[in-house]
Amino acid sequence: MSIKKQFRDGLIDNNPVLVQRLGLCSTMAITTTLFNGIGMGISVLIILTCCNVVISAMRKIIPNDIRIAIFVVVIAGFVTIVDLLLQAFVPALSASLGVFIPLIVVNCIIIGRAEAFCQNEPVIPSFFDGIFQGIGYTVTLVLMCIVRELLGNGSFGGGLLDVSQGALRLTLDGSGSGIQVFSSEYAATILIMPFGGFLTLAVLLAAMQFALRKADEKKEKALRAAKVLVDEEVAA
Amino acid sequence: MKEKKKSKSQILRLTLILFLVSALTSGVLGYTNSLTADRIKEQKQQATAKAYNEVLPFEGDYVEVTEFDKASFPTVDTISKAGEEGYVVEMTFSGAQGNITAVVGVDSSHKATGVSVISHSETPSLGARITEEGFRAKFVGAEEGTALKNAGGTIEAITSATISSQAIVDSVNTAIAAVVALG
Repeated sequence: MSIKKQFRDGLIDNNPVLVQRLGLCSTMAITTTLFNGIGMGISVLIILTCCNVVISAMRKIIPNDIRIAIFVVVIAGFVTIVDLLLQAFVPALSASLGVFIPLIVVNCIIIGRAEAFCQNEPVIPSFFDGIFQGIGYTVTLVLMCIVRELLGNGSFGGGLLDVSQGALRLTLDGSGSGIQVFSSEYAATILIMPFGGFLTLAVLLAAMQFALRKADEKKEKALRAAKVLVDEEVAA
Repeated sequence: MKEKKKSKSQILRLTLILFLVSALTSGVLGYTNSLTADRIKEQKQQATAKAYNEVLPFEGDYVEVTEFDKASFPTVDTISKAGEEGYVVEMTFSGAQGNITAVVGVDSSHKATGVSVISHSETPSLGARITEEGFRAKFVGAEEGTALKNAGGTIEAITSATISSQAIVDSVNTAIAAVVALG
């Protein structure tokens, strides 16, 4: 399996959220501001990559009977480490993501990848699998954040960007209030609420299915065209 | 996998492997904790100190008042005296989604000097806006009996976040009452 194929898999063909439908809970719960989305995405990316590497490295010594128990121990270990590091160095992110960081332990993306990929594959492909699946998750979160924040609050880049005295500033401590595109009075507040999470996710899933089907049809058409061409040549 | 009755030695082997993995993980966690514990404590202290200074700026030390009526004010965690300036009251109370920890400054004439939220788990863009300067500024100079506009008061609630707004109004009233009760 080539790195390029793995990249495409993680981002599009086998996107953890939009195609495999893993980790939907956190996807709907935290995508209210760009700061949260990027923070959560990167946390999962780091944890996923570490877990993938460790589980893949131990795959020969993990007995099949207790593999799930061992996966959970390894995942819980890494999640707690990231949780402690966030509390120590990025307290704003830790405060705004709250319980969702410890809950990464039961995020099915990580155990799903361990089961489906790392327990059979060497360390290097597992490492890239972690990174690309993590990027796929992060991109999905960011898309949802942008849609929900813009339509639900009329702003863009909440927590991450700040406009003060006419200058655009990057705030890495989550204090920025974002760029107000239009007044929040005219925004559909419901999109920020949990219900809006379901709605946005459903629309994204549908769009992804549509795009994937279109791509499949195109491929099939091309294949058929090629076949016809060959047939004609044979006939001639 | 072959269907085979597990022998005692195999069970022992599985237990041992799981034990070793768990022990190793605990070791790594313990090490991380020892590295970060001080810093996490420091971060929390800094956040609290910043909040104290924001609601009632004071040059000296905030001295904790140990004798207050905890039974009458169950949400009050600590009350600290800022010299002659007044008091800072630290409280934990419930908002719309979970607990809110906030400090309220009360001056010597029993008027609120400011509110600052240390931690909360309100909905981002809705209840979470209680941390915004614009909302908190409305409480500067508030007296006991402050209320939201819909209850005949003067404080305008955050749109779609009446419960969170009400929680902050209540906390300001409680803080003032607790300080008045000190005498």
